[in-house]
Amino acid sequence: MAAQLFFAALCSGALYALVALGLNLVYGTLRLLNIAHGDLAMIGAYVAFVAFSTFGLAPPVSMVLAAGLCAAMGWALYAGIFRRLFATPETAQRLEANSLILFYGVSVILQNVMALGFTSTARGYSYMGEVWRIGPVMASGNRLLMLGTALAICLGVLLVLRFHAFGWSLRAVIERREAAGIVGVNVDRVQGITIALGFAIAGVAGVLVSMTEQITPFMGFPLTIAAFVVIVLGGLGNIFAGIVAGFVLGFVETFGIALTSATYRSILIYGLFVTVLLLRPQGLFGKAIQVR
Amino acid sequence: MAQMKRYSYDLPLAGLVLLFALSLPLWAGDYMLGVGFTLAMWLAMVQSWSLLSATTGYISLGHAVFCGIGAYAMVLALPVMGIAISLIFGGAMAGLAALLIGLPVMRVRGPYFVILTFGLAELAKAIVMQAETSMGQFSRLIFNAPSLAVLYWVMLALAVIAVAAAWLLSRSRLGAGLVAVRENEEAAEAVGVPVARLKTIALVLSAVIPGMIGGLLTLRSSYFDAAQAFDPVLSFTTVTMAIVGGLRSPRGPFLGAIAFVLLSEVLWLRLPQLYMIALGALLIAFILFAPRGLAGMVSRLFASGDKSGKVAGHGTA
Repeated sequence: MAAQLFFAALCSGALYALVALGLNLVYGTLRLLNIAHGDLAMIGAYVAFVAFSTFGLAPPVSMVLAAGLCAAMGWALYAGIFRRLFATPETAQRLEANSLILFYGVSVILQNVMALGFTSTARGYSYMGEVWRIGPVMASGNRLLMLGTALAICLGVLLVLRFHAFGWSLRAVIERREAAGIVGVNVDRVQGITIALGFAIAGVAGVLVSMTEQITPFMGFPLTIAAFVVIVLGGLGNIFAGIVAGFVLGFVETFGIALTSATYRSILIYGLFVTVLLLRPQGLFGKAIQVR
Repeated sequence: MAQMKRYSYDLPLAGLVLLFALSLPLWAGDYMLGVGFTLAMWLAMVQSWSLLSATTGYISLGHAVFCGIGAYAMVLALPVMGIAISLIFGGAMAGLAALLIGLPVMRVRGPYFVILTFGLAELAKAIVMQAETSMGQFSRLIFNAPSLAVLYWVMLALAVIAVAAAWLLSRSRLGAGLVAVRENEEAAEAVGVPVARLKTIALVLSAVIPGMIGGLLTLRSSYFDAAQAFDPVLSFTTVTMAIVGGLRSPRGPFLGAIAFVLLSEVLWLRLPQLYMIALGALLIAFILFAPRGLAGMVSRLFASGDKSGKVAGHGTA
């Protein structure tokens, strides 16, 4: 029982870590709070659903498709709108101050466009549903695939941040954008690639969700909120702490629900969210940073 | 100065509009009256929201929480107090809630504040839904709700009160202090503005009327359902209307509310998704390309060359 719960917590923790990772990358480098992040995952989930049910493509293929599509959306958004606004300090400041409201608009548009196209009916498909017994744990194949993929992507991003020159530039931009520009980091390129990367990760996360749950055009919002809880727990822009916090939320949620009941889920998540924001807005692990 | 001049110019017009609005139930049909009710509601809502968010720059994305609290308090009080007192009780409870959360919540700034208000609203919704479920209630029917005409007049009164409050606030010491908070909170505190107290007062002021709006909406639909009373779309629409109307102008809430009520009459019934898409698109377009909103456009149209149009945008910087 405890081992089974532990596995469930690990799975949802890995998913939260992955969803939050994309959000955190975008916030860290562009200082934009993308409240449409979960809706990108929703897009990814629909890519997987359509690919599977219409074209017979397996979710691992859809992961590549969804990543590509979401990355293209991120890049288009950056090249089409944000780059111009980041060019002058005045418009950049206005963009950052209003980013949350702005992305709320994007979120509403994405949800309703998908609701128009696919109706609000919940959809689903079944892939790798067979159950494996690993020691004391019963695990379905798709959950194992989800866990493995999420862990691999988180690890991959951490390795790039640690060992690759692009990762160093990215960290430099997160820590101090202006100074990074002065010492020769191509801030514009880093921002463009990072928003594409962050969106792509959200798309992949959506494919992973679609393997184990039913999907609707409005599934993104709870994911966004979970991701916000996670990056607030870890401290906005702190990539590694964000991944750790993803697992913290997974464990708090899974064991919290096991101790009370499933109806307390929202109270638990929002309660944690509000408490952290009120008591430690800089995150559980972070130092205080000044936010305008 | 220019602010005062604009008001004196608007005053006779406002009187005419008010007379027209007051007489609406005497000659209009149910459909028109319903539109009037919705329009008055959004005007009251956006204006109340502006008392806090436009004056202080603390953007609340959770004002539905006050509607929900007001509605719930009213529904619970109804069997004991009767409709009129229950409505006021709902407003008072919303104000009390704002007072209780004011000090800790108004310490949080910028984007954190925005997501916090949203999270608080969802938390309150989840708690009320859980409380209702554990009491075995899924929705509460309300009998003997007043007629639409009466509800309309009450809503109109709320709108007038909200507009008057905004006007008084813009001329008061309190209002000046709040604008100082928006422009530079540290500097305001340093010169002795009691920042924390003013922000809490602003939050309470902007919560009471939404509390009563929540009660009126519940009476209108004659049932209470937590998910509907705390609907986040309410918060979102309020912010959108305010931004599209123009945050820094006294005309903004009027223009925003009218524009969206018209839009929703055209689109909502037939194509609700298209209405939401239009809402989102307009919000994005105005934030990016017209930060002064419709009010900014109107004043540019009518007062090109006249410097008074600029004051609302730059006078306090």
